Amino acid sequence: MRPTAAAALLGGLAAAALLAQRTASVAAIAGLLLAVCLRAPAGRRRLYLVGAIGSGLAVVLLTPFVETIGSHPLWSGPTVPVLGRLDVTSEELRNGLFQGLRLTAVALAFSAYALLLDHDRLVQAAGFARRSVLAIALATRLVPTLERDAAGLVEALRGRGVEVTGLRGRARLLSPLLAGSLERALNLAEAMEARGFGLPGATQALRPGWCPFDRAALVVAAGLIVIGALWL
Amino acid sequence: MSLTIDPGEVVALLGPSGSGKSTLLRALAGLVPHFHGGRFSGRVEVAGRDTRRVRPAELAGTVGTLFQDPEDQVVFTRVEAEVAFGLENVGTPPAEIAPRASAALAAVGAEGLGERRVAELSGGQLQRVCLASVLALEPRLLLLDEPTSQLDPEGAAAAIELARSSGAAVVVSEQRPERVLDSCDRVLFVDEGKIVFDASQEDALSRLPEAWLPREHEVPAAEPSGEAVCRVQDVWFGYDHPVLEGVDLALGRGEIVALLGPNGSGKTTLGKLAAGLLEPQGGHVERVGRACYLSQDPGRYLVSERADEEVAVAVGGDLARARAALARVGLEGFAARHPRDLSSGERERLALAAVLVAEPDLLVLDEPTRGVDPARKQELTGLLRAEAARRATLVITNDHTFAAAVADRVVSTVPEREAVLA
Repeated sequence: MRPTAAAALLGGLAAAALLAQRTASVAAIAGLLLAVCLRAPAGRRRLYLVGAIGSGLAVVLLTPFVETIGSHPLWSGPTVPVLGRLDVTSEELRNGLFQGLRLTAVALAFSAYALLLDHDRLVQAAGFARRSVLAIALATRLVPTLERDAAGLVEALRGRGVEVTGLRGRARLLSPLLAGSLERALNLAEAMEARGFGLPGATQALRPGWCPFDRAALVVAAGLIVIGALWL
Repeated sequence: MSLTIDPGEVVALLGPSGSGKSTLLRALAGLVPHFHGGRFSGRVEVAGRDTRRVRPAELAGTVGTLFQDPEDQVVFTRVEAEVAFGLENVGTPPAEIAPRASAALAAVGAEGLGERRVAELSGGQLQRVCLASVLALEPRLLLLDEPTSQLDPEGAAAAIELARSSGAAVVVSEQRPERVLDSCDRVLFVDEGKIVFDASQEDALSRLPEAWLPREHEVPAAEPSGEAVCRVQDVWFGYDHPVLEGVDLALGRGEIVALLGPNGSGKTTLGKLAAGLLEPQGGHVERVGRACYLSQDPGRYLVSERADEEVAVAVGGDLARARAALARVGLEGFAARHPRDLSSGERERLALAAVLVAEPDLLVLDEPTRGVDPARKQELTGLLRAEAARRATLVITNDHTFAAAVADRVVSTVPEREAVLA
């Protein structure tokens, strides 16, 4: 399948998750996207899955304490400044689960895009706004690049007999990671300028045309959005 | 600085770290002043075009530039797209892009890498791909900034010969003069932003400082000696494919061992196993005392805001010891500098200080002469030899000149190559 068609499908699933009104529907979409993400190599997918599922879980846990809906309290707690009286109702739990699953589904759609799609061919397929598409592709690769850089920093520190442990130890790497990313971005921009990036009249290498399977994927993607809005 | 480069001429650009070689190359590409700013006076004309009046991107089809660090030049995730990128930017007819990209990859000996992901490539393979990306543009002026730093000697010779045979005028900046002196027509030696001399290849040999002259070395054949600090026995290791199969290595206190081998043959993997950064999948590794490993990428050592704090990481923040280590590598006075303000050669020395400060029993250095000029290389050789008695030292390198100067014996991931240097 062409990456463009695959990206449209993932986008359609994410949109359907955002438009759906039933928890079961959103859960099914999230489950489907999780299955897709599991096709990626284990080493690469771990960070994305932890991020997607972790953020959804955070929404599930926090929503009951920041919302005030429902009339079936399951637990009543103290009154705290700003938040008021803390309580947890069944309606809040259901809503938290729904919103958490929704966030997880969208995050998993992005994860599948980042892990499984050929971003080079996505950029090459862009017939317009190529520079913006390339910027998005480069930004998408930032996560695995940062992951490799972090692994390199940890290895270099281990090579000096210093073990990086715990949250505090890893937090120490954030500043050099950011500085390294900025430096790399500058070097990359220089190399791209030297290779003619931004010149008018840029061409593209020949690429295979759309097959019926790709066109069907586009139709399915559009259909998912409609189905999500109307029936899910 | 004033000079003229004729069509088809191959110019070796030599000089100490920080002498202005990279800045000169960027001026020829128009990146100075357009991209880097600064104060610029005078005129640079390339193929009749004044670089002050055209953007660097507009020079792309005329000037091809290969920068020092291949990892920082890669735009795409796959090799074929990476090589095609420049061709697309300059408006190459679509039907010609793929054939020219394939031809460029074949020319650099990377014809099998087209479908590979860039992240999977070794440093040497990546450097070849970057060279292919530049050659595909068929430039009239080829600017190469340390193009062989990650290549083994055979690959380096092939790369320089390839650049020479492209027909372009070539300016190649190198810290390993033996790799370029045989192939160049002319030598430009710069220091402190000025041209010290501009001479033909023959005349240059009589004018180069002693440390820059190519030299013959012999490393005496030797057996492992000294108290065994590290013993690698029948070790197996692989990633997606096997890298090391049944490898043995013994390192004794007081000896310096050079580990040679072609790109991708497992030198770094063996070094990491010896230092304890990797666990063998078969066989075992015995080690006495503390081991330190110097990565081949000095940029990985930049976790602190000051050079002395950076070095002190390995010794619990002891700044006095850190400053002493900085002085040992010729960086006295750099204690308060931010590590990212240092040149590549200075970062390499900072990284060396960062491992030496720990006084390890086993020191593994992975390509320690990358970006280091010959004078500093001699100092490094002296430093390692002076401290050799304290520890076992394993030097992983493609720099045969350095290996011959510093090592007591040579081992290779391809055993028949051990005889080459000895």
